[in-house]
Amino acid sequence: MFKTTADLLIKSHPLRVVQGRFFAAAVAEPKSEDRLQSFRTFEADPSKHNTNHQSQFYKVDSTDKKVLFQYGGLPKSFQIQAKTFNETCLMVRDPSIQIINHLKTIDYTQPPIKFVLYGKKGCGKTLTLAHIMHYAYKNDFLIVHVPWVGNWMRRCKDTSNSETKPGFIDLNIDAAAWLVHFKTQNANILENPELKTTIDIQWNKRECTPIGSSLLELIDQGINRIRFASNCVNYLAEEVKKLSQSGLCRTLLAIDGFNAFFYPNTRVFTEKKEMVPPSRVTLTEGFLNLTKFDWKNSVIVVTVDEIAIAEKDQISHYPRYLLGKSGFEHLDPFLPVEVKDYSEKEHQSIMDYYRERKWIHSYPGQNDELYFLSGGNPFRLMNLCNAL
Amino acid sequence: MMNLSRNIERVPFRSIEKQLVASYCNSSPQTQTKQEEFRALNIRNVKDPFQTRRRLQKTAVFPPRADQMPVDQDWGSVWPGPRSFHPATVPLPVRQGFTEKGAPPPNKFNNAELMKIPNFLHLTPPVIKRQCEALKKFCTPWPKALDNEDKIQKNFPIEVISSDYCYSSPTIRDPMARIITVKFKLASLKLDDRARDKFLRLVGPRYNEENDTVTIVTDRCPLKKQNYDYAMYLVTALFHESKKVEPWEEMKSEADMEIYCWENNASKKNIEALFGCKSEEIPNAAEYSEAVSHYMNEGENDYTISKYGEAVKKLLKLQGTN
Repeated sequence: MFKTTADLLIKSHPLRVVQGRFFAAAVAEPKSEDRLQSFRTFEADPSKHNTNHQSQFYKVDSTDKKVLFQYGGLPKSFQIQAKTFNETCLMVRDPSIQIINHLKTIDYTQPPIKFVLYGKKGCGKTLTLAHIMHYAYKNDFLIVHVPWVGNWMRRCKDTSNSETKPGFIDLNIDAAAWLVHFKTQNANILENPELKTTIDIQWNKRECTPIGSSLLELIDQGINRIRFASNCVNYLAEEVKKLSQSGLCRTLLAIDGFNAFFYPNTRVFTEKKEMVPPSRVTLTEGFLNLTKFDWKNSVIVVTVDEIAIAEKDQISHYPRYLLGKSGFEHLDPFLPVEVKDYSEKEHQSIMDYYRERKWIHSYPGQNDELYFLSGGNPFRLMNLCNAL
Repeated sequence: MMNLSRNIERVPFRSIEKQLVASYCNSSPQTQTKQEEFRALNIRNVKDPFQTRRRLQKTAVFPPRADQMPVDQDWGSVWPGPRSFHPATVPLPVRQGFTEKGAPPPNKFNNAELMKIPNFLHLTPPVIKRQCEALKKFCTPWPKALDNEDKIQKNFPIEVISSDYCYSSPTIRDPMARIITVKFKLASLKLDDRARDKFLRLVGPRYNEENDTVTIVTDRCPLKKQNYDYAMYLVTALFHESKKVEPWEEMKSEADMEIYCWENNASKKNIEALFGCKSEEIPNAAEYSEAVSHYMNEGENDYTISKYGEAVKKLLKLQGTN
């Protein structure tokens, strides 16, 4: 009965193209098995990725994902899609391979090398950073990762005047949340008993963290006593620097939306409703301290993003514009790495991946059409494919 | 009439009188029209009496002069000076103007388009030649030593341009003759970088970057001589003023610089701090400094940023990709 009605529907349907599309999808099914090799790689370890794996997808292990990105680090739309696809796959792209290759070869006894990822909106800077972080995680780096600086400067949860530094503003909840994030990401490494604080920290009259207590204690202090969280982040940054300097750990500093530290306008306000520049936010100090040259055994990867600043100033995606003069001078010399739009091959690969995940129905000429419509921009392509 | 009838009533034999009255009444209007016509006021001008219109006397149109022109005539004397186009004088079948599709453009007669545009019919090559010949007796020969542009430029760096006008009005003084234009190459002043920058700020838009020429036009004084003197004064004043260093000029800070100079910027201090030695001792620092200045001065684009990236790679001794 059902079959006959379907037949009838198809026969009476005025738009023959539609049924053609469905049939094409059905026919293309076995073919996708052949293509499987080309768009997917089973090399799940980012340290083994090289140019041969370019524009192929690899699956991020769910436990790794839980450790690394539980409290942010992946774009929301990507996370939703990953949930739908029931797996988290990252594409091995050129900028991440470049940086991973550098990470393998650089001399860690020298001051840190700064990589600045830049590119147009929705090009995949954050996911490139995620790939690099995954590499760092697999190679036992201590990861100091800020998922999105814009969350602090433009969408902070609460503010209070700093007690230790007059004129500065603490972002208590955000700082504590970041400490939790840091603790989860580096749970394995922080268990190392050698990671100890090097100075006495006097929080107030009664509370103090004595010299030689473990980093975990310092972090827990910040998480439990939320008023100290901002200061705790700064102390932690200093401690991480010293520990790396002494060679106890190797550090990856990954900051997404780094230019928000230098954009003069924020949405952080004092009690008198005065706007606070980023330089007067306590958290800024710690991370600017980390991005200096005066330590070693570390590497710095930051992204500069238009979305981290106010919409009216989103004119150019280049680092000098986004960082401003002071920001550029702070980072200089850095290595700019552009995250580009999809190439033809990458586009082909992602379309195959979407098809394999049954996310889109294929029809002839679909790839070309979507490449043209999206202009190669990954985010736009994702939005276009949501409707297919 | 009323008076008459009253009188008649008094008379006893009425019948005779009635006849009389009737005959009088009937006869009286006839006698009046014959004597004088009553002129009615004709407001609407209905029955206008026919008037003969005066005929316009048309002047006879002569055939165009161009038809009778001999082929070997002296064109310079037919069309001696600048003048707007006249179809009968120009013996050329010129056409100009817009028409509907397919139709040819309107011919030269009654053609306003041809009159609008400037013509150079008075400047035909033979006429120019003749005028030059006529002017030659007023000219002096060109100095033989000045045989090329460089020598002229070197020996006569300043160029003064003015015009004398022949003017056929009650006064022969043309107001435009007072204008003086002075041109010279900025390089001929031999200024140093600071003075050159100040000079350029002082002259503003009078400097042409393409051919390195400063052009000063003076027209504020009534006489040509006065304007010339004023122009020379301006050149002198500009030269000395740009060489002078005012006390406030020493206060120029990094933020006021018009171009990025790597030497006095944070970038140099950064790499000196990074390597712990003077920038001259750092290998590949020169290339790096050039790349940074390029990056800052030319603006950001894919080319400058990739050059900067390459320079940083060399500076930090990073291996090439892959």
